[in-house]
Amino acid sequence: MKTSVPGTAAARARPRAASVRRLWLRSPAFWFLFPAIFALAAIGVYPLLVALYNSFHQYKLADVGSGTPFVGFDNYVATLTDPSFWQALGRTVLFLCLTLPIEVGIGLFAALMLHRSGLAWMRAAARVSLVIPMATTYAVVGLIGRLIFNRQFGVANYLLSFFGVAPLDWLADPTLAYVSVMIMDIWQWAPFCALIFLAGLAMVPKEAEEAARLETPRWTMILWHLQRPYLLPGLTAIMILRSADMLKMFDAVFTMTRGGPGSATEFISVYIQRIGFRLFDQGMASAQAMLLLILTIVLSRLYIRFVYREAA
Amino acid sequence: MNKRFLRPKASTLLLATASMFAAANTYAWTLKEAAAPYSGTTINAIFLDRPGYKAAAKLLPEFEKETGIKVKFETIPYESTREREVLNFASGGAQDVVLVDVVWIGEFANNKWLTPIKKFTDDPKLADPNLNLKGFFPILLDSFGTWNKVAYGLPFDNYSGLMFYNKCMLKDAGFDAPPKTWDDLLNTYAPKLTHPDKNQYAFALQSRRGETQSADSFMRVLWPNGGSLLDAKFKSNLLSPQSQAGLDYRQKLMKYMPPGIVDFDHAEAVNALAQGHVAMITEWSAFYPTLTDPSKSKIGDCLAITTEPRGPAGLKPALGGFSLAVNAKSSAKKQAAAWLFIQWITSEQMAKPYLEAGGVPARMAVYQDKAVQDKYPFVKPMVESWQGGVPDYRPRFPEWPAISEIIAEWGTKMMLGQVSVKDGAKTIGDKMETILGKAGYYDGKKPLLK
Repeated sequence: MKTSVPGTAAARARPRAASVRRLWLRSPAFWFLFPAIFALAAIGVYPLLVALYNSFHQYKLADVGSGTPFVGFDNYVATLTDPSFWQALGRTVLFLCLTLPIEVGIGLFAALMLHRSGLAWMRAAARVSLVIPMATTYAVVGLIGRLIFNRQFGVANYLLSFFGVAPLDWLADPTLAYVSVMIMDIWQWAPFCALIFLAGLAMVPKEAEEAARLETPRWTMILWHLQRPYLLPGLTAIMILRSADMLKMFDAVFTMTRGGPGSATEFISVYIQRIGFRLFDQGMASAQAMLLLILTIVLSRLYIRFVYREAA
Repeated sequence: MNKRFLRPKASTLLLATASMFAAANTYAWTLKEAAAPYSGTTINAIFLDRPGYKAAAKLLPEFEKETGIKVKFETIPYESTREREVLNFASGGAQDVVLVDVVWIGEFANNKWLTPIKKFTDDPKLADPNLNLKGFFPILLDSFGTWNKVAYGLPFDNYSGLMFYNKCMLKDAGFDAPPKTWDDLLNTYAPKLTHPDKNQYAFALQSRRGETQSADSFMRVLWPNGGSLLDAKFKSNLLSPQSQAGLDYRQKLMKYMPPGIVDFDHAEAVNALAQGHVAMITEWSAFYPTLTDPSKSKIGDCLAITTEPRGPAGLKPALGGFSLAVNAKSSAKKQAAAWLFIQWITSEQMAKPYLEAGGVPARMAVYQDKAVQDKYPFVKPMVESWQGGVPDYRPRFPEWPAISEIIAEWGTKMMLGQVSVKDGAKTIGDKMETILGKAGYYDGKKPLLK
């Protein structure tokens, strides 16, 4: 009769685990992946966990004496019952709903123009120039915006004067300030959409495209039936990236309007920054950031479900 | 021996000994010798992109040469300064010389982030016998550097609100002198100086959302009318007739300001005067160099300066500025080196060079010099303002930044007409009282200090 000796299995498992670990460490795949995993953990996962921890604590950086007691869901409840939070979120969602379709529309139009044959040098120059707005720092975009929309000497009012329009208070009128921020965002990010769409169009087989052009002269038919499947993965990426970007858009708005006039351009990220770095209530700001993260994930899942699936 | 005789004799002897010791000490103390143990030490400071800091940067090589202490400074925008400093305190970031805005002193001192200057002034090796704390304008030392009767910093970059005006525009409109009162400005001067068709306006009050709205615009109209933000019990005083009169006044004055005034920061207001678009502004004294720089300003000899207009409550100009203090978390060596730098740059001896380099020192003595008064026309009204100013023009307690945010939002809404003056004042008052209540001012947990 065989009797099991306690600890034998564990003793056998130990060398196996050790050999698996050795194999892992010797595996080139592990070392190739390690820097990326380490960087992601250091700059993504770790801060996320800290923010999650903070969101359940009172953590006021500028009031050391108050300590950091555990407060449960208090920060979440305070956030969800704060009208200013909802107003800021509403402004942000409206901004997303108004700006993203315009960026996608302009981007698609530019990509289709650049996809046409002929004038190769112009297309090459246009592609390079599309990168310039994207390469501009957000804060600089805001400062450029302040100059463009300056009432006295801004380019916007100068151009409008050719049409007999009196100077507008772009940055001092609540509605126009909102529109100004939209215009600057569109200026910076419509080129990004154009480049993504251009990459999608480049994947359409030449033969199929030529055949389609022989079939129909209508570009809308070609776009819908032939090019659309190649554009949808890019469109999904644009929607996810731009939604996340707009939800955390801060630098450009802050330098351009500081969230004003009044609270006209106080987007959710400006609001969270105010709580986190003006009032230094890190607990509350972390709870707001976690809610924003959840919103971003939900939006991304919706995009993938309803837009990307179309491509499949 | 007669004790009565002995006593004066002994005291006289003691006094004489002390005087001799002090005199010897005065004679012996030199910056070079005091700094010798710290030679080679690097201290870190945060500077702003403003004339006072450029002046200090110009003078720094002299200090470094004399002491061997290296002062490493980083220039950052005002709006990011508090954020950076608080994060430095919380994370142990490199910062030995702390820049303290008048409204941060309560917060920094309460958190024990600053070293009381007594630590250094009581150390004969570090204290310059000519330090002369009484030589600072009392309002500046008390307001910028002192909290709860403990001095933490020495006033370094000092401002008073002044009226800068274009005397040529005033003359063309039939005025030989600037308005003496806010009432004159609104009712007599403003209508004659406003010509929207020529893009000319009487006055510009910088009112952009942020500290500009709360400190430079909102508070500026409260005090001269006898109003204030808080009453003696720290409850809102914004619905008092005087405060309401001040806020109503601002709404009336907007008719004579350039369109888009709620987006005017300091730069825009100064530029409007510099380019001849407005006739008068009330701005910080520190903008004098900008307005007299021909590359930035067209106003030239038409520039004139006086005190801010008086209100029913008298002369109550804006007060602002920064002190320099020593970080309580720095090492003893860096603290000593930082103190030597602060003591040197704010000293009476350096006051004139600092002024000539573009700074505004807080030392009374330098402004008594007739040559200085003649050379810098802002000196006379500035000194007059500092002699009659309000030390707590803005409350200096730790809750000010949170209250400032509320005023910035609702003050702008008031100006835009999105909310009435009364409703806006009520909203600000309610939100402010919530903050102060949570902080413990109403249940006696915190003393009523501002």
